[in-house]
Amino acid sequence: MTRAPDAGPIPPMPRAMRRNRMLMGAAVALILGLVVLAIVTMNLPTWTRVMGGLERNAMPLLRGFINPNWGVFELASRAMLETVFMAVIGTAVGAILAFPMAFLAANNLLGSRLLAFPGKTVLVAIRTFPEILFAIIFVAAMGPGPVAGILAMGINSIGFLGKIFSDVVEGIDAGPSEAIRAAGGNDLHVFFYSVVPQVLPEFASYVLYRFEINLRAASILGLVGAGGIGAPLIQRLQFRRWDEISMIMIVIVVVIIVVDTLSSSVRRRLV
Amino acid sequence: MAAPEPGADPGAGAVTPAPLRPATAGRFLNWATWGIIAALFVVSVQQTGFNLELVFSGTADFFRFFRRLAPDWTALPQIWAPLIETLQIAYLATFFGTLLGLPLIFLASFNTTTNRPTMVVTRAILTVLRSIPDLLYAAILAPILTLGPLPGVVALTIFTMAVLAKLTSETVESVDPGPLEALKAVGAGRNRMIAYGVLPQISATLTSYVLYIFEINVRASVVIGLVGAGGIGNLLNRYLSFFDYGGLGALIIVVFFVVLAIDQLSVWARTRLI
Repeated sequence: MTRAPDAGPIPPMPRAMRRNRMLMGAAVALILGLVVLAIVTMNLPTWTRVMGGLERNAMPLLRGFINPNWGVFELASRAMLETVFMAVIGTAVGAILAFPMAFLAANNLLGSRLLAFPGKTVLVAIRTFPEILFAIIFVAAMGPGPVAGILAMGINSIGFLGKIFSDVVEGIDAGPSEAIRAAGGNDLHVFFYSVVPQVLPEFASYVLYRFEINLRAASILGLVGAGGIGAPLIQRLQFRRWDEISMIMIVIVVVIIVVDTLSSSVRRRLV
Repeated sequence: MAAPEPGADPGAGAVTPAPLRPATAGRFLNWATWGIIAALFVVSVQQTGFNLELVFSGTADFFRFFRRLAPDWTALPQIWAPLIETLQIAYLATFFGTLLGLPLIFLASFNTTTNRPTMVVTRAILTVLRSIPDLLYAAILAPILTLGPLPGVVALTIFTMAVLAKLTSETVESVDPGPLEALKAVGAGRNRMIAYGVLPQISATLTSYVLYIFEINVRASVVIGLVGAGGIGNLLNRYLSFFDYGGLGALIIVVFFVVLAIDQLSVWARTRLI
């Protein structure tokens, strides 16, 4: 039997690969360095204080969470129902207002990037704000209650839906529009018979998706006085009534999971 | 099929146009679903006492109030320290959440876990964890873990872990099975299959998800201070309760530009990755 010719020593690693490895190493070192820096400079409590807090609170919390208080079930359900209603209207307001915004921010419909720029900027600005900041401002401006929460959600949804809608509009097939124009249709015909039918199913799907997000948001907006289930929750958190908190959280979790499941099954049929 | 007219392109007659899809009707929801959605909307409007007038008066109130938020820049020195704490909370939470989430990704994907019950249980836990809003975690943890950044980090870590595992396990389930089969054929165990077959395929998407969740965490860490979980939300709460709207205005503007900068940077990095 002949031996395979000796291939010699293992060749050194190619240059590009070595450079990649070094870059990876540097990135990992940077990430870990920042972690250490953050932990060292952060105002963390001492170990004994944390353990003391845990000792005092962990057992009551566990006991409360194991025995949810059914006495607040009715109250929690009613508050959660209000939360769902808030999310429905907030999403609807956002979707209706996002519709015109989307077309004002779409390059292809306006014919130039310059014309779409102001619309896009407004959408980015809205998206940058956390929802709860809007809610705080609305509560301060018009008093507490579900309407403040609805408006906060509505405005925030415009930022998200407007952006996604305009992406959808920019991605439509130009064929049908050209066909309508070739047959003598004007801009309005193109809009109603080509653009709208093409984008509606995707719009609907994203509106549902936003509804899922808004329901989560609505269930905490009450923490700043903007209505929904967050209000009874924050009161009980102040008094650490864990058994009642546990019941409220069960209601929140169950409703959110049910709505998510329903909504995603409808979305799957849509697109 | 009609014979091609004389003189026409001989190939033209052979091409039958693809049948048109029945407009959007087939793709669209049936009317019953629309009816339910419309009914839900009507009931919601009735139950919350919402009307169009409120939208206009509310928006007017909003802008009138906005004028009172004229920023008082003398508050600036107060803002930096909690702002940095906010970013640290988001950073640490993203880091630890990713570390804890990594093993869960593979336990929740059908092609990397061999034990079906493990997968089902992992998924169920992730679903429940994800359905609890991040601010709620912070509100529950703040009284237990002493007020300050610690409960914030823990709250957002849990959130990061659950979201990352869910998002990425969908990516893992759609990887090309070829490399996995090749590895299996040469006798690799599950961990080797994940390390050499799955990770190289998902690393770009995984990194992009981590950046995306970091963006979410930055926004969340701005507000978790409202419930005592550290960061700039504490200061926000103080300005609000002392009606210091000038300070509040300055804070909001600073937060706006910092979040905007981080978002743009992260979006830029993500588009380069994929």
